[in-house]
Amino acid sequence: MAHAFRRRPDGSLACRLDGEEKAIIAQVAQETADLIRADLGIDAGGDALRRAAESEDPLRRLEAEFAGREARTPSDSAVRRLFPAASEDPALAEEYRRLGQRDLADGKIADLRRVMSILDAAGGGHGEVVLDEDEALSVLRALNDVRIVLADRLGLQRDGDFDTVRMLQQIGEQVEGAESSGDDEHVGSDIVIAVYELLSWLQESLLRALD
Amino acid sequence: MPVDLPRAEARTRTRTDVAPEERTTLETEGPWCTVVWNDPVNLMSYVVFVFRRYFGYSRVVAEQLMMQVHEDGRAIVSRGSREKAETDVQAMHSFGLQSTIEKAGES
Repeated sequence: MAHAFRRRPDGSLACRLDGEEKAIIAQVAQETADLIRADLGIDAGGDALRRAAESEDPLRRLEAEFAGREARTPSDSAVRRLFPAASEDPALAEEYRRLGQRDLADGKIADLRRVMSILDAAGGGHGEVVLDEDEALSVLRALNDVRIVLADRLGLQRDGDFDTVRMLQQIGEQVEGAESSGDDEHVGSDIVIAVYELLSWLQESLLRALD
Repeated sequence: MPVDLPRAEARTRTRTDVAPEERTTLETEGPWCTVVWNDPVNLMSYVVFVFRRYFGYSRVVAEQLMMQVHEDGRAIVSRGSREKAETDVQAMHSFGLQSTIEKAGES
C-alpha cells in the first residue's frame, strides 16, 4: 500500500511504495519511452547518427544533419498529445517540429529513464522512495506524460470523462458480480484505470509535499 | 483539467481579490503570445505548479491563469518576442501542457 509523499527535515521528498507498485510504475514509464521512440522513429540508430554528425567526412555530416532534422508528425494519438502542434498554422507547426521535437523527445525520455532508475535503486520490496528537488521535477513530468498516454488509451477527451469511465467501471463490476462473467477486455481497462488513479494520486501527493 | 480534488477553500477568495496591477504583470508588451489550452489530464495543482515554477508567477496569478484555462478553454500565459514565445511553448510541451504560439491580437 502506497504512502503519500512528504517533505523530510533534510528537505528531500519521500514516499513509500510496495514492490508491485514500483514495478508497475517502472513498466509504464518504460512503455511510454518505447512508444515515443517507436512513433517518432528514434532508435538505437541515434548514436550512429551522432557519430556521423561528428564524422570527418563532410558528406556524412550533411547526411546526418538532414536525417536529424526529419521530424515526423506523430501517428499515435497519445504521442500526438505529448508532442502537440506548437501553432495552429500547419506550416509554422511543421517548422517547430523540425526545430524542437527531437530535444523535447530527448527530455521526455530522460525523465522517464530517471524514474525507472530511481525505482530500480529503491529496491524490489515495500520501501521508501526518496527524491531531491531536481528528481522531483523529473518525476512530476514523467508521471504526467504517462498519465497523458493512459488517458488517451481510456479515451478521455473532456473534463469529467475519467469520472464517467470510473462510474461505468463500477456499474460493470455490479453487473459482473450478478453474472460472474469475466471478459479479458474489461480486465485490461480495469488495470489502466487503476494505474491512472495511482499515478494521479502520487503526482498530487508530490505536488502537495513540494508546496 | 479534471475537476480537482478538494484543496484550499481560501483559493476562491484570493482569486476574486486580485489587485488590478497583479493582472498586468504578465501583460508585458510583445507581439507574440504563448497560449495554454485546457485538457482533461493535467491536474489543476500541476498546472499552477508549472506556471509558478517556470514563469515565476505568484500563486495568485498562477491560479488565476489556471482557472482561465479551465473555464475558458485557453489562456495567454506570456507575451514577448517571437523567440520568447517559442521558448515558452517548448517549455510548456516539456511539462505536458497543450500550448501554441500566437501573434498578439489574432484571436
